[in-house]
Amino acid sequence: MTVPSRLQAMAGAYREYWRINILTTLEYRTNFLLWLGFTVVYHGTALVALWVILEAFPSMNGWNFREMAFLYALWMLAHAINNTFFSEVNNIPDYIHEGELDRFFVRPLDTLFQTITTPGQVFPDELILALTYFAAATWYSGVHVDLKFALFVPLIAFGGALIDLGINLFVATLAFWFIRVEALQWVVTQLEQEFTRYPISIYSRSVRLLLTFAFPFAFMNYYPATFLLHKPDLALALPPEAGLLTPLIGLAFVSIAYAFWRFGLNRYQGVGH
Amino acid sequence: MSGEFTRPRFRLAPYVEVAKTAMTLEATYRFDVFSSVASVLVRIYILRTVWVALYTHNAAPANLPLHSILTYSTIAMLMSLVMDIDQTRALHNSLHDGSIVTDFTKPISVPLYFFANGTGEVLFHALLILPALAFALLIVHIDVPSAATLVTFFISFALGYCVGFCINFILNCTAFWTLETSAVQMIVTWITDLAGGELIPLVLFPAALQQVLIFLPFAAMFSTPLLIYIGEITPSHYLEAIGFQVLWLAVLAGISAVIWRRGVRRLVVQGG
Repeated sequence: MTVPSRLQAMAGAYREYWRINILTTLEYRTNFLLWLGFTVVYHGTALVALWVILEAFPSMNGWNFREMAFLYALWMLAHAINNTFFSEVNNIPDYIHEGELDRFFVRPLDTLFQTITTPGQVFPDELILALTYFAAATWYSGVHVDLKFALFVPLIAFGGALIDLGINLFVATLAFWFIRVEALQWVVTQLEQEFTRYPISIYSRSVRLLLTFAFPFAFMNYYPATFLLHKPDLALALPPEAGLLTPLIGLAFVSIAYAFWRFGLNRYQGVGH
Repeated sequence: MSGEFTRPRFRLAPYVEVAKTAMTLEATYRFDVFSSVASVLVRIYILRTVWVALYTHNAAPANLPLHSILTYSTIAMLMSLVMDIDQTRALHNSLHDGSIVTDFTKPISVPLYFFANGTGEVLFHALLILPALAFALLIVHIDVPSAATLVTFFISFALGYCVGFCINFILNCTAFWTLETSAVQMIVTWITDLAGGELIPLVLFPAALQQVLIFLPFAAMFSTPLLIYIGEITPSHYLEAIGFQVLWLAVLAGISAVIWRRGVRRLVVQGG
């Protein structure tokens, strides 16, 4: 297939994927409402916890509640983009173990693309929620909104989503070698959520380095937030502009994860399942 | 259900066997075990760092010195190894795939069967507390209270566990009526973690909120045993605190019994 016709086929499949998702959501309305309730409570309890802590202790390493609310908003936006567009990556271990992955090989589109576009009950509710909250938190924290903000925030959010996707893809790929990775997936999600909740300057130097260079969660929100809020980086004393590197870091991280996925995939075919 | 056959005499042995099997089954998932212990340790590290940072930059609250809150958070994390397990998931699963029908043909009490099964799982996870505690001591220093306080703590913890069991049982019983219960289950878990004082001691909440939260069943699960452990609830208040837990347990056990009976009746009607 030529490149344009292949892209056309992918676009067609992708449109169909969203059509089925939305139809499924409409069919199972109670389910949808229950999971929407879950999303609201999940983020709601996290924010209430932050609020309670900062009511009792006004400052966390120089960050107040308003700034922490914005820190959370940046993470939530990136995370919601990942959950909306790439969450099916987390099903890869199931496909591998139930032999369903083999079906994807005989079809003429990229295997990863096919796993990402396997219809489920995906609906952009979390993204809508995240955008609404982001707008509110931006106003609440008093971030200066200018052209630079409008230009960089979408890039930062998308880059953050790629960091999220990268780590998920990496863990999912481990399923080629290990039988059960569900627990690890759950642990990684939880740790990401915990490590992005507070300014990373509170951690020891080795953890800051890990969160910056090995698992670059700090680029999902901490570095961009210090840049946008004009706060000094007390973690590694990086220049403020480091926060603008998020899209590049995201691309690099997801590329590494993709290379690992290809490596696993080739090996998988090699053993002749 | 009764009347058609004589109910066999109650024997404990089958339930012990069920618990043993459940325990062995849990132990086969070694990777899961490793991950959950590792996750608890990292979370203890995070909590320690967060509290230390907060206490360094702010005035400490009068009634809660840093060593108390570190002890509190660590014990809470270790408790969650046991408390966060949904012991009655098996009930939900057998309602989902219909195998509950064969459970009813067994010469045992079905709710007790699920209790035994859940207890087996939980006992296995309770064993994990020991290695987790050993590693946790490398990260934080934990206060050890007097023997009497420790005994009261374990009684209170056990009551809190039973309250949690009833809540999980009620939630999983809703599978008699609706198919999707996992969303509700997770909503309740998040609320329990916050409102029960697992993440942040309730004494740090704004006063008005505190007044509401201490009367909810979630506080009976985490907050009461933990406050006993760190000495925030003094011996003169033990009876009151534990009495309140017993009260919640009685209420929730009553609700569980009613829901179970209604559910079973509905199941019989459905099954013809």
